[in-house]
Amino acid sequence: MDKVFEIQNQARNNVKELQTYMTDLQNWEAEMKRKEAALNGAFEQDLPPVRSKIKKEKPVVPKKKPESKIRGSDYTAWDKYDVDKACEDIDMEDVGPTSLDGKKSQQAKLEKLKEEAQYEKERGNTFVKQEKWDEAISCYNRAIELVKDDAIYFANRGLCYLKKDSLHQAESDCTEALRLDPTYVKALQRRATARERLGSLRAASHDLTEVLKLEPHNAAARKQLEAIKTRMGTKGAKSKSSPVSTPTSENKPIVKPKIQPKIVELPSEPAVAGQLMADDWRSGVGENIMVIRPVKKPPHLRSKRPLKSIPIQEVLLGETTPEKPPTRLKIVDIEDNMSQGDSNNNDSNKKDSHGKTDVCGEGDKKVASPESVKLVSEVMVTEKVKNFVAPVNSVQFMSEWKYMKGQWDAMAEYWNLIEPSKIPSIFANALESSVVSDVIQVLHSRRDTFRGRTAAYLAGIASVPRFSALAMFLSHTDKQMLSTLLEDCKQSENCTDEVIADLKNKYEL
Amino acid sequence: MEELDTPQVITHIEHNINHSIFDCKWIPCSAKFVVIGSLPRGTGTLEVYEITSGEIKKIKEIERPNSFKCGTFGASSDVERRLATGDFKGTLEIWDLEKSCQMYITKEHTDIINSIDGMGGNVNNCGAPEIVTGSRDGTVKVWDPRQRGKPVANMQPVKGESKRDCWAVSFGNSFNDAERIVVAGYDNGDLKMFDLRTMSLRWECNLKNGVCSTEFDRKDIPMNKLVATTLEGKFHVFDVRTQNPTKGFAQVLNNDAKSGTIWVARHVPQNRDLFISCAGNGQVSLWKYEYPEHRYHVDNQGVSSGVPGKLKRLQRMVVSSQPINAWEWNRDHLGLAVATAYDQCVRVLVTTKLNLQ
Repeated sequence: MDKVFEIQNQARNNVKELQTYMTDLQNWEAEMKRKEAALNGAFEQDLPPVRSKIKKEKPVVPKKKPESKIRGSDYTAWDKYDVDKACEDIDMEDVGPTSLDGKKSQQAKLEKLKEEAQYEKERGNTFVKQEKWDEAISCYNRAIELVKDDAIYFANRGLCYLKKDSLHQAESDCTEALRLDPTYVKALQRRATARERLGSLRAASHDLTEVLKLEPHNAAARKQLEAIKTRMGTKGAKSKSSPVSTPTSENKPIVKPKIQPKIVELPSEPAVAGQLMADDWRSGVGENIMVIRPVKKPPHLRSKRPLKSIPIQEVLLGETTPEKPPTRLKIVDIEDNMSQGDSNNNDSNKKDSHGKTDVCGEGDKKVASPESVKLVSEVMVTEKVKNFVAPVNSVQFMSEWKYMKGQWDAMAEYWNLIEPSKIPSIFANALESSVVSDVIQVLHSRRDTFRGRTAAYLAGIASVPRFSALAMFLSHTDKQMLSTLLEDCKQSENCTDEVIADLKNKYEL
Repeated sequence: MEELDTPQVITHIEHNINHSIFDCKWIPCSAKFVVIGSLPRGTGTLEVYEITSGEIKKIKEIERPNSFKCGTFGASSDVERRLATGDFKGTLEIWDLEKSCQMYITKEHTDIINSIDGMGGNVNNCGAPEIVTGSRDGTVKVWDPRQRGKPVANMQPVKGESKRDCWAVSFGNSFNDAERIVVAGYDNGDLKMFDLRTMSLRWECNLKNGVCSTEFDRKDIPMNKLVATTLEGKFHVFDVRTQNPTKGFAQVLNNDAKSGTIWVARHVPQNRDLFISCAGNGQVSLWKYEYPEHRYHVDNQGVSSGVPGKLKRLQRMVVSSQPINAWEWNRDHLGLAVATAYDQCVRVLVTTKLNLQ
């Protein structure tokens, strides 16, 4: 009975449930209809990109027209064909649209590149402030690599080149900057400075007038322009000869600091014309100074002859003078004859070998006066030895020794400075057989200098590590000299037989 | 007694349509659904019905030369509500039902598209909108409505291998923008799991009978459970949380040979542990998957393997004289569903007391 009642109750509940459900459903229907009516308008969603490789082609990237192939015979077309650009295009294809969403990502990429370039520029600017021009240039290089169409990077690099006196590069950079932004005053000013220093005054003044057009109140530019105008006016054709000056801040008007020949006053030589006087002064005539000239030629015009290495010796200023004048003058004379022409019509092609000026004449000049050169060097060497100090290591020794090669007096004197007992510590493992031979010859030929100490020296050399190997290289003449030396020692230095025998043994006599 | 206390599946509206119907889908955010079928003369139809106080009313009909087989709204936003359909000739079309026009049409399959699923349209941060289609030509193709003409992924047997008829496809594991899995069931009982992120076959097994339908309990979570129904009254529930390198996934098999082919199984959108299975004898069964105490155990080698749970039948009810070939729960209203059957009837069904479980 209870069960039946319960089932009935349950059934009734179920029906009730269903009824409420149905009313719910009706309410829901009404609500959905209302909701649906409200549903309109665009629905924007940030969707992830399309899957698979195909998606790379699909995005916004505009369809490229199939490029017309250039026929092999079509030479004019090939002439116009920009290989760099084609390569770049291919490169870009690789990196470009790979990053999924065409236009968007390309934009993002550009943005990123710009950011990076900007960062490089900032770094470059800090280097400029520290006057580290090379570092700054490399920074700007990177910036330009990243973003090729920003005038600022070119102009800044131009400044660095200007500071480094790479005037041609400075000019071309400024030109590039101006191509990108023709109203870039700083670039104009920098180019003007570069051009002025390159000697193209007309172009420089043109640039400056441009600056003044853009900025009529630019005092610096006005001043610079005036300076150039005066130079152009006073010198005319000579203007080109303006030598390279020291770098000047680009903001300051560049007043040529280099003294023009005219200004040089040499009242002591009234007979010579001003121009000549200047040349004399320049080439150091009448003075005990060797003039080092800058190279004024573009690299491709310079001599192709290999450079000669000429040892540069340090000469103390005060002590060199006395013996010099005769030899000195001689060389200068030769040089003078050669260079007279140069200084007159400047950057002509005769400067060649002067280009890299060294202390002594070189190349063809040597042929002209070989004896003079020799004289110089010998005089210098002997006098140098007087200033020498005993070497403390083999490197020091060798550098001096090589330089004295063949000048036995000097070598003897130098060797004399060395304490026999210190020989092993000076040379250690670095003693060469040629040096040993030289020393033997020195000891032999300048016996008087070393009287009483020959045995000590020989013993010193023999105690160098691995001397036995060196002894094997001794020539017959060396050994003969050694024998006489040892004989000498025996007689004049009262060396014992034992010592002599020991040395003989060591030198393998 | 017991049965009275459990959920009841009640046919709310039954509507006879005088042609074959294969699929039905709720139109998102509305009290409307679309019925996909074919007319006796071989043309396809899309019919839009609206339910109004216990009645259903046809409000739109679209006829096309080829019979439609299946459809989905899954790859479309709730505002656009575009229906993707597959037809007997292998054409994939995307419809704007408001304007009754196709937005997208492509014919890459060479034979009937048996099954279609969509994902990514109405959930954020769950990947791109994509449609997957499985066809008799043996291929499973993934489409992006933004990419015309070509599929974004194509899974097909290697050359020389026989082409099996793909009966069922579904998406899952799409819990972020990158991860997504497609499960495909074939007529020979193969069940394959493709990982779309790595573009590789993640797992496969054979269920011995042709796989009629597959579904993950949720598409937009790290994959949890997978139901695959087969011929001869069987269906498998896999716990796909834990994959053992050798044994694969733990599974529960339900076998009821009398009921015939299980045509479809659908999870309740509001409760992922409940699902309904629709059998060839017109019977629907409501199931609850009961998790084991521990969902996986780690063996002495440190390899974990899943532990199967139990299936509990909550209710069964014969609602049709012919096989029920499609069922869809309404997303917005608990217990409301629409089903099509081979008796040419579309039914709106209500299931009560689902929230009590």
